[in-house]
Amino acid sequence: MIAYLSNLATLAAIFGLLAATLNFMVGQAGIFSVAHAVFMGLGAYAGAQVALLVVPNPLLACLAAAVVAGGLSLCLALPALRVRGEYFVAASLGLQMMAVTLFTEAKPLTGGMGGLVGIPRPSLFGVVIPVLPMALIALVLFLVLMSAMQRGSFGRTLGAIRDAESAAEALGKNVAVAKALAVAFSAAGAGVAGALFALHLSFVNVESFTLEQSVLVMAMLIVGGTGTLLGPLLGAVLLLSLPAALSFLPFIPPTEIGSVQQIIYGGAMALLMIFRPAGLLGDQKRGRSEA
Amino acid sequence: MTIALSCQGLARSFGGVQAVKGVSLSLPAGQVTALVGPNGAGKTTVFNLITGNLRADEGSATLHGKPIMGLKPWQVARAGVARSFQDLRLFQHMSVRDNVLAATEPAGWFWQPGGASARREREAKADAAIQAAGLSAVADARAVDLAYAERKFLSMARILAAEANVWLLDEPASGLDLSSRERFQGLLHHARAQGVAICLIEHNLDVVMALADRIAFLDRGQVLAEGEPQAIMRDPKLAAIYFGDRQ
Repeated sequence: MIAYLSNLATLAAIFGLLAATLNFMVGQAGIFSVAHAVFMGLGAYAGAQVALLVVPNPLLACLAAAVVAGGLSLCLALPALRVRGEYFVAASLGLQMMAVTLFTEAKPLTGGMGGLVGIPRPSLFGVVIPVLPMALIALVLFLVLMSAMQRGSFGRTLGAIRDAESAAEALGKNVAVAKALAVAFSAAGAGVAGALFALHLSFVNVESFTLEQSVLVMAMLIVGGTGTLLGPLLGAVLLLSLPAALSFLPFIPPTEIGSVQQIIYGGAMALLMIFRPAGLLGDQKRGRSEA
Repeated sequence: MTIALSCQGLARSFGGVQAVKGVSLSLPAGQVTALVGPNGAGKTTVFNLITGNLRADEGSATLHGKPIMGLKPWQVARAGVARSFQDLRLFQHMSVRDNVLAATEPAGWFWQPGGASARREREAKADAAIQAAGLSAVADARAVDLAYAERKFLSMARILAAEANVWLLDEPASGLDLSSRERFQGLLHHARAQGVAICLIEHNLDVVMALADRIAFLDRGQVLAEGEPQAIMRDPKLAAIYFGDRQ
């Protein structure tokens, strides 16, 4: 039971980090992306390769993941960020589809459909350490960084771009640079989450980085509340716990859990959009004014 | 008389429509120039061409003698040209203070240069702009929650804080009541006295006559006349065009 709960907590911390970093892009900068799983994937493969080929040092794996995901996000985002709003959503969707194909075909780097197996347990100075504390530290670190940025001038710049891009430019803000930095930071965080995910499972393949995963992370954000620090965490915990909680209910046959889960998700989302359109912890005034 | 901003032969067409053709304009420092003309005359397009929001088909523009045509909007802004928008474009979900602070922080990096002392200076500048615009009582309110006149003044506070030496204002006084309009005129008189070159698009002729040192009359993308406000407004041909009574 403890192992089960520890596994759940580790995944909640990893997905909390994913949702929180996506929130930085969506809630803070107004860049709607449905390709967050791509950056998670880039980080996961980078971290896994470091552990497999160099040393299973989790810090090195996370650093490599952040650099690869953050760096590649710049190459991918700079052309895509020339478009706004729904056009960027479409561009990110294209990126997501393309990345899944690349992850599947780049067998020497990703292991293709079979993925990378036998990733060694993370260890520091010869001592094997569980992923949970590292995931929690990474989560807290990114939350502190995001909170500081949110309250500072960079947060104001992103807020200005989100609310009125042309007015932000008219005040001298280099919108392209600010957006690229926000995407790179967010992607670096997703990369770290990916590396921790790979180290936690000791296995990674393309099925973890599909459009469904990106949509799941977006759903965590919407349920918890965009633009808030803790909303995405709540969303991650709720969406990850629901399947586990349902499996404990004796009156639901195990074969029907999937269907029941879909009904609950659908009903909860509909109720949420009616009664709390900005998410559980979101600014309801803002949600309603935008709704 | 020092010319702060000058443009020569600006032209721009959209498809088959020539929105601006050969507009030349000079904005002297410490003067208010009003761009007047009927709807669709090309006034806002001229602003968009100067600020880089639109690319000109022809023409040039200089700011204190340096060419600015072809620069991006943020580069024109950093060179010293501030503008307001007809639809205000406030940062709706940010507080009044953050709206104004954002105008003092042009750098788009993770941090602003200059450390803590520069930050204190920016905060002082923002507070002064908020006070000058009469928004101190609502400094912590979100822009979206402000009354209409307060939103107009917030738009002006951002421009005050940006410390630009050329202001391009697109219908800044529309919808203001008499007392708000007087307060607004006071802000512009003060800026003019500080040497700011102001160009104003305005349909309210009382405001134009109270503020403008010069008027440029635009119609169908062309400057038809330019000169002293009294002379321009007395011209019966221009009045006929303005009031939609053209033959």
